[in-house]
Amino acid sequence: MISAGTFHVIATELTVGMFALAGIAFLLCALKKGPISRESVAHWALFFGLLATPFAIISGINASPGDGLDNPILANKMLLSMSSTGIAIGVLLRRFWGREVDIRHSCFGMISVALMLITAGMGGEFSRGETLLIFIPKETVLLFPVWASISLLLVGLVVVSKSAIKHRS
Amino acid sequence: MRYKIAIVLLLMILSTTVSTANPGGKGDSVRSRDCAGSCHGDPSINGMSDAELDIQYQEEVYAGLLTEIKTTVSFADVSSNNMVGLTLLANPDGAKDLPASDGWEIITDPNGGKNNYVEIVDSFSSVSMISQIWTLRAPSNPGNYNLYLGIQHGSPQGGVAMTGFSESKQVTVTEVPENLPRLSVGWEPINKRELGEETIITLETVNTEKATVEMKSGAEIIGLPVVDDKFTIPPAVNPGVVEWRVILEGEGPTQTSPWFRLTAQEPGWEVDEFALYMQSFALFIICIGIVIVRRPDHKRSWDTKYDNTSEVNSQFSQIDHAQDIEPNEYTIPPLPEGGLPDGWNMEQWEYYGHEYLEEMEQEAYR
Repeated sequence: MISAGTFHVIATELTVGMFALAGIAFLLCALKKGPISRESVAHWALFFGLLATPFAIISGINASPGDGLDNPILANKMLLSMSSTGIAIGVLLRRFWGREVDIRHSCFGMISVALMLITAGMGGEFSRGETLLIFIPKETVLLFPVWASISLLLVGLVVVSKSAIKHRS
Repeated sequence: MRYKIAIVLLLMILSTTVSTANPGGKGDSVRSRDCAGSCHGDPSINGMSDAELDIQYQEEVYAGLLTEIKTTVSFADVSSNNMVGLTLLANPDGAKDLPASDGWEIITDPNGGKNNYVEIVDSFSSVSMISQIWTLRAPSNPGNYNLYLGIQHGSPQGGVAMTGFSESKQVTVTEVPENLPRLSVGWEPINKRELGEETIITLETVNTEKATVEMKSGAEIIGLPVVDDKFTIPPAVNPGVVEWRVILEGEGPTQTSPWFRLTAQEPGWEVDEFALYMQSFALFIICIGIVIVRRPDHKRSWDTKYDNTSEVNSQFSQIDHAQDIEPNEYTIPPLPEGGLPDGWNMEQWEYYGHEYLEEMEQEAYR
């Protein structure tokens, strides 16, 4: 039987590896250099990284000691990973709808990758007490009041809905 | 360009250093014997610890009752963070080696938890001797049992993961005398509390006529009043450990419990989980929206400045229009009354007939 900790390592390395590959491919897309397959590589790697992300999150929750979110690093990991996942899904949707892979698109892809790698770096800080991200404040959680989150959620839903309708029309 | 990238990558690879696995520790947990994440085949990054390890038991260990053991680490040369991982094990095999496999139950580990692997930060050195106290519940079956102590730490120069293992330490667990005053089998001490709150502990005893509670206060031992098998430990101002024990008197021989440790700690980090989940979901949705939102369709100035598309299109449309209407205007001039003039053929008349007619009209006016 594989323990949650071991499974979390497998899922995390799969996620981070895929996102890192996607990041390099998006960088090449932004620079308009490298092989023609860079666009396909970027989006497929991002897609498979997204597939592995839920497994990493669930196994991470099972593997973490203590009950619930009792550490600010865990809270920051949640906020960053959700933001990264949102951007990645947006990038894939844009691609699926046939939009051009321009500098703006590539930058969104790289931002998504950067957020996911920061999340992984925070995991290292949480589990091993060390990380390369020494300059990023990991103990500070920027938590909105609930009304602000709900407002943000409503704005997001409106934007997503309008974009989807425009795309169909 | 490719050579530059290759050189940069090569320099990055060459600049890496070998480091000990998990130098920050892995955290206290229930753990079998392992290499603390340093299972390397290369002997240059593994080493045997020079530390001397020892386990001491109480004189009498009764089956199913609480007992105290003291583990000692001597002469351990550790890394700069002074961290050592200690593992209490039932055998050296690396499998089914948890104390629970032999029926031991860890009630309080040196860090106030219930783990067989703990990470201790103390003044370990080649001349020091550091002791830790564990509170265990002995196996319920009398007999001879062994416990082992494993150690993991870094090296002073770094880069080498040191491991060590103690000799087998045997203890005889005996049957509980019938009339022995004792704490009941199901009772467990409280291990942790928060700062500023007093702790009321209820004792559950068997064959006990009188219970006296003692607490360490600095170098002194003070008594705490016990009323209806309950006593109160005053609140802690600072994080730390309070040690207390209970002396049980009855018909049988008087029994003194192990020193129980009550760790006072600052309140843990708390967050409104609903707000956090709501914000996470909001960020998720808004991030999708930011990416897929379409840019406004307004044309930028530098696009329109040199954009003559409409003019070119209009010219093309005029040409097309001209081509469309030309066949309608192109008509064969009517032949004169006498038919084709002399020397003309029909094809010449189609193209130049109207000029002939115009000349005829001008001559007629003259």
